[in-house]
Amino acid sequence: MSLTVLPAGSGDFTDAIGTRRELVRESARRSLARRRIAGRIAIALCMVAVAISLAPLVALVAYTTSRGIRVLSWSFLTHVPTPPGIPGGGISSAIVGSVIIVGLAAVIAVPVGTMCALFLVERRGRLAGAIRFGADVLTGVPSIALGIFAYAVLIGPGSLIGHFSGLAGSFALAVLMLPIVIRASEAAMRSVPRDLWEAGLALGVRRSRVVRSVVLRGALPGLVTGNLLAVARAVGETAPLFVTVLGASLLVTNPLQPMGALSLTIFNNANQALPAAQQLAWGTAFVLLVLVLVLSVVARLVSARLNRQARR
Amino acid sequence: MSTTLLEEVPPPRLSPVPGVKDGLQRRWARPGGRAYAILRWTGATIFAVIVIGLVVSLMASASQAFGHSGLSFLWSGTYNATKDIYPTGIYIIGTLITTAVAIVLAVPIGVGTAAFLSELAPKWLAGPLSVLIDLIAAVPSIVVGLWGLLVLSPVFARHVEPFLKKIPVLEWFFHGPAYGPSMLLAGTVLAVMILPTIVALSRTALASVASEDREAARALGATRWQVVRTAVVPGARTGIEAAVILAMGRALGETIAVSLVIGNNNALPHSLLAPGATLGSAIINNFGEANPGLDKSSVIGLVVVLLAITALVNIGGQLLLRRRLRAVGATT
Repeated sequence: MSLTVLPAGSGDFTDAIGTRRELVRESARRSLARRRIAGRIAIALCMVAVAISLAPLVALVAYTTSRGIRVLSWSFLTHVPTPPGIPGGGISSAIVGSVIIVGLAAVIAVPVGTMCALFLVERRGRLAGAIRFGADVLTGVPSIALGIFAYAVLIGPGSLIGHFSGLAGSFALAVLMLPIVIRASEAAMRSVPRDLWEAGLALGVRRSRVVRSVVLRGALPGLVTGNLLAVARAVGETAPLFVTVLGASLLVTNPLQPMGALSLTIFNNANQALPAAQQLAWGTAFVLLVLVLVLSVVARLVSARLNRQARR
Repeated sequence: MSTTLLEEVPPPRLSPVPGVKDGLQRRWARPGGRAYAILRWTGATIFAVIVIGLVVSLMASASQAFGHSGLSFLWSGTYNATKDIYPTGIYIIGTLITTAVAIVLAVPIGVGTAAFLSELAPKWLAGPLSVLIDLIAAVPSIVVGLWGLLVLSPVFARHVEPFLKKIPVLEWFFHGPAYGPSMLLAGTVLAVMILPTIVALSRTALASVASEDREAARALGATRWQVVRTAVVPGARTGIEAAVILAMGRALGETIAVSLVIGNNNALPHSLLAPGATLGSAIINNFGEANPGLDKSSVIGLVVVLLAITALVNIGGQLLLRRRLRAVGATT
């Protein structure tokens, strides 16, 4: 063990530190430059990813709009389809069918979903956890399976209705909407401050009354948003309607009969080589796209207002 | 005012020990409470009945097919219309291949987009872009399918597929004639459909990483990109994995758009350019024409297989998501 002690103030000593410091500085500079370049490349790649992910989606919307807007007219919206080869005709039967089918689906899904959300808000423990988990898994179930479920229960042999009908489609769409309504409503109700519940209960008000006038009222914008998003999702669905509603070209308003629907009109015309059929498909696709986007935008505006109010 | 208040005053406490909350009294004794409890339980019961009914009725409807061919239904590779036999094995392979193509295309792009929107972009840009991608997620699958069939398919047949056949190593995947409708096109259309899902869920996962982690990395001298790579992405890993798995579930279960662009061929695909079939496209194509009895039951058997695969994938994704939420410390 021997330490070489350099005499204080010797030139060697300061030089050694100086060189070392220079070395460290130099290597840090080089490392930073290298890391900066790597970072710039990576960020550029991320920007390319953004461009790639936006391109097809924007192209899709733009193309559908440009093709659809040419077809769109007042008579397109208000006439029933004509047989192949005859010009004119529109999609009024599909619009009416979609509105009735989705409307009935909402009439089923919204009350049941809200009641179920109340259950989840009020109860903790395994049962609530299981229902929540069930709702989350049901969100990912393919919509065709829900359609076939409606077919098996309402249409197939030994079932309740026994033939293809709009109501069966509504049932399938209601099952599709339920998990969305449940989870969104639960989140909206949970966002109502616990203090308000307790204040209501402390006044001696019945629990049901507190829920009605404090919780449901406070959660209203969130409930509206969740339900609108569920409706927007249901309007665009095709597969469950394909196996339950069947489609109709005449104007049908009785939900116990096969009906038309916007998505079915697109599907049935997409595969045909006739230019007129493809035009009909694009026009219908545009109407459907506008409908879905308007519903989503309105839903978002409502929830944005909710957020502003919450911050206040 | 005062009268209504008087009406709402609860009945005197019946519990003998002060401070002990008698659950029965609180929840059931008062009429309002009872009706409200019945309402809640009705909602929960209907939902439970629907979920159980979904599984039971599909299994019951498919029982004839499973009874006829046993478990070999699952890997049958021959198509025989007169004997009501469907090549489930080929459909499963087609489903897995198209989903794999979609994942390979969509995951790097989606996660890159999410990283840019959540970490790197300035706020004025990230906000509108995120809203745009969320809105586009609402585009119905039938519209994506229509666009894939009438716009993308000719482009693929004329430009993309001939180009891919010229690339030295990859050409092994892309031999055979370029028709347009193919496994590759179906996978691409699926990728377009699942991209917004991946972006939205990954963005949430990235945003939920604690800002202390970012600051710590920054304090150690990391560049902006190094912060993302070494602190944010590893912190959000479970969430990103869950996003990918849930998107995969969506790709596996998609029917309508795929049936429009895959070419519907009941043979084992020999190349990504070959037309094929997936479980979803086969269900859509065969359900309408299937005769009552064994034929219909066989198609519903395909639905049961699809339901089982997607349910497994989704349960996995949800469990991952839950593990992440618990780690972050959220309550629901």
